[in-house]
Amino acid sequence: MKIVVAYKWAPNPQDLEVRADGTVDEARGKPAVSEYDPVAFELARRLADETGGEVVGLTVGAAAIDTPLARKAALSRGLDRLVLVADDALAGADSTRLAAVLAAAVRAIGGVDLVLAGDSSVDVAEGQVPLTAAAQLGWLGLGRVTAVTPAAEGLSVERDTPAGVAVLAVRTPVVLAATADAVVPRVAGMKDILAAAKKPVEVLALAALDVPAPAVTLATLGTAKPSGGDRRAVLFDGSDPASAASQLVGALRSAGVL
Amino acid sequence: MDFTLTDEQELLLSSLDELLERECPESYIADLDLHHESATSFRKALHEAGFMSLGFPEEYGGMPCDAVTLVLLAERVCRQGLNNGFGLELLQAMDILEFGSEAQKQEILGLLANGRVPFALGFTEPGAGSDNSAMTTSAVHHDGLVTFNGTNTLITAALQSKYLLVMAKNPDTDDPRKAISMYLVPMDAPGVTTNRLEKILWYTQDSCEIFLDDVTLPEEECLVGVKGNGFKQLMRNFEMERLVIAATCLGQAQCAFDDAAAYAAQRVQFGQPIGNFQLTQLKLTDMAIKLENMRNFVYKTAWMLDRGLPLKSQGALCKRYCAMSGFEVADDALQIFGGVGVTVGARVSRLWRDLRGHRFGGGTDEIMVHIAGRQIVKDHS
Ligand SMILES: Cc1cc2nc3c(=O)[nH]c(=O)nc-3n(C[C@H](O)[C@H](O)[C@H](O)COP(=O)(O)OP(=O)(O)OC[C@H]3O[C@@H](n4cnc5c(N)ncnc54)[C@H](O)[C@@H]3O)c2cc1C
Repeated sequence: MKIVVAYKWAPNPQDLEVRADGTVDEARGKPAVSEYDPVAFELARRLADETGGEVVGLTVGAAAIDTPLARKAALSRGLDRLVLVADDALAGADSTRLAAVLAAAVRAIGGVDLVLAGDSSVDVAEGQVPLTAAAQLGWLGLGRVTAVTPAAEGLSVERDTPAGVAVLAVRTPVVLAATADAVVPRVAGMKDILAAAKKPVEVLALAALDVPAPAVTLATLGTAKPSGGDRRAVLFDGSDPASAASQLVGALRSAGVL
Repeated sequence: MDFTLTDEQELLLSSLDELLERECPESYIADLDLHHESATSFRKALHEAGFMSLGFPEEYGGMPCDAVTLVLLAERVCRQGLNNGFGLELLQAMDILEFGSEAQKQEILGLLANGRVPFALGFTEPGAGSDNSAMTTSAVHHDGLVTFNGTNTLITAALQSKYLLVMAKNPDTDDPRKAISMYLVPMDAPGVTTNRLEKILWYTQDSCEIFLDDVTLPEEECLVGVKGNGFKQLMRNFEMERLVIAATCLGQAQCAFDDAAAYAAQRVQFGQPIGNFQLTQLKLTDMAIKLENMRNFVYKTAWMLDRGLPLKSQGALCKRYCAMSGFEVADDALQIFGGVGVTVGARVSRLWRDLRGHRFGGGTDEIMVHIAGRQIVKDHS
């Protein structure tokens, strides 16, 4: 089974500063594999080990995403090899365009059975890329995936949706986006980090890829800080635990939480 | 001089960050401290991620690792607020990997893999503290057996360890330099008893007295390395041990500084954050200078070790400076917190307590002068 892990090389949000006007200053953001993507690496590695398959990392973005550190950071997380599309024409690209480039790169890699991604990127967090890439490829795309295992004809995929847990028999090729807590990804040790420097890396030229020209591009008109929400503190007298508990349940109901 | 970390160091540190966030949050450390428990699950996680075997020879599943990288890791774990969080067990295990028998090596590596503390190190005795040469614990070799008698005190983590790596003297040897050997004694061997010592710091590691009364073991099983070479073997990793202690102090002091600076920025008195007052800024500034000095001292000493340069008094100077300055930083941090700092559960109080212990363990502040001072005078005569 040939598995592509589509991940983002993104600035760590902990280092970012939100300006008063709501725009984000990324200057101090140290880039890393986007926080929710290691789950996809782990699912892919486990699946490949079980099926004897190959795991190919794939990331697309501006030229700055291709540094020796960035390559090793991804390759130390259980990939067999890495494919990059790093071109300044992709700086600030919207999620539809990124998905189109990812899809074109998946076609260029060829013979791919499964594309695994995280649920959303840590910096933009729109959560649109995996399913848009599925649409671009003309493949089935599923989000909210919590488990993937090999099955007789393809894969068995578990999804956790508000309506409940669904277990699906899925034929490949398919694009899956995993929830942030689907598995606990292993951390890279020194052996993995040293081995990463020796794994193959292929850089695909954007111009050589078959990416359809975008019909529309996204223009952001304005940004604003999210509102902190209305916070309220209510204290219950806990001397009678049973009554305190029922007051708590009542308060949560009236607030619409339960 | 290039202070840039290599890609490998950067990546290893970010892996460690992930592990710390997941397996060693402040709530976990505070809980261990409160209940006087050891960080077993975190050590196990460190081992599983390959951190505990860094620096071990490859034939034992380890990875060669330079001293600079090891101190970076020790600093980072201790910056999380965990005392003695990284490196010390590794150093102790090196004694066994270098000098122990195959059976001893396998036993110790197996314990490490399970997050256990494989052994405590015993050489302090009631009558022999700074002056190790005054030790009286005896090891009499007879008929392929060794019989031990004596008392160790202030031994760290012995109650949670399976073994005691003890230094003992052969009473039949006249030359005092050749009398001392190194032995691995199971803590549950007949004749071993302990008395827990309650102390005011280092709650995640127990302390005790250990009494050895006619403890008799097969020589083949208990002797580590060469008979009579005990001290030489022990000294082998001493430089690195001082350096790891210095890095431990650096990490914990940085943690105290970060807490204090954040507190100063938000605690309001007289209508403004206390960080606006110059007296607070003076403290923070001097703390920052000490941290910078400590960091440079630790990194440079590690770099010297990696280059194979003679350390002479460098290790002792570094340990003394970092243990003392680390405590001074924590003390100023405590002052910045005001009364809330000394309440149980305030991290800064734990850091203050734990840092104080490093002014004794691994040799006191004064003994570092004893070592370095002699060397300095010798170098200039
Ligand atoms: C937290 C902690 C953990 C420890 N863990 C271990 C352990 O795991 N294993 C172990 O074997 N030991 C351990 N020790 C013991 C430690 O090594 C000794 O406490 C230390 O070597 C000092 O010995 P002492 O306490 O007997 O003090 P003493 O040697 O009696 O010293 C008392 C005071 O006199 C000073 N002094 C002594 N000689 C001189 C001199 N020549 N010049 C100037 N001043 C001098 C000392 O610096 C000290 O201030 C630990 C101690 C502590 C506090």
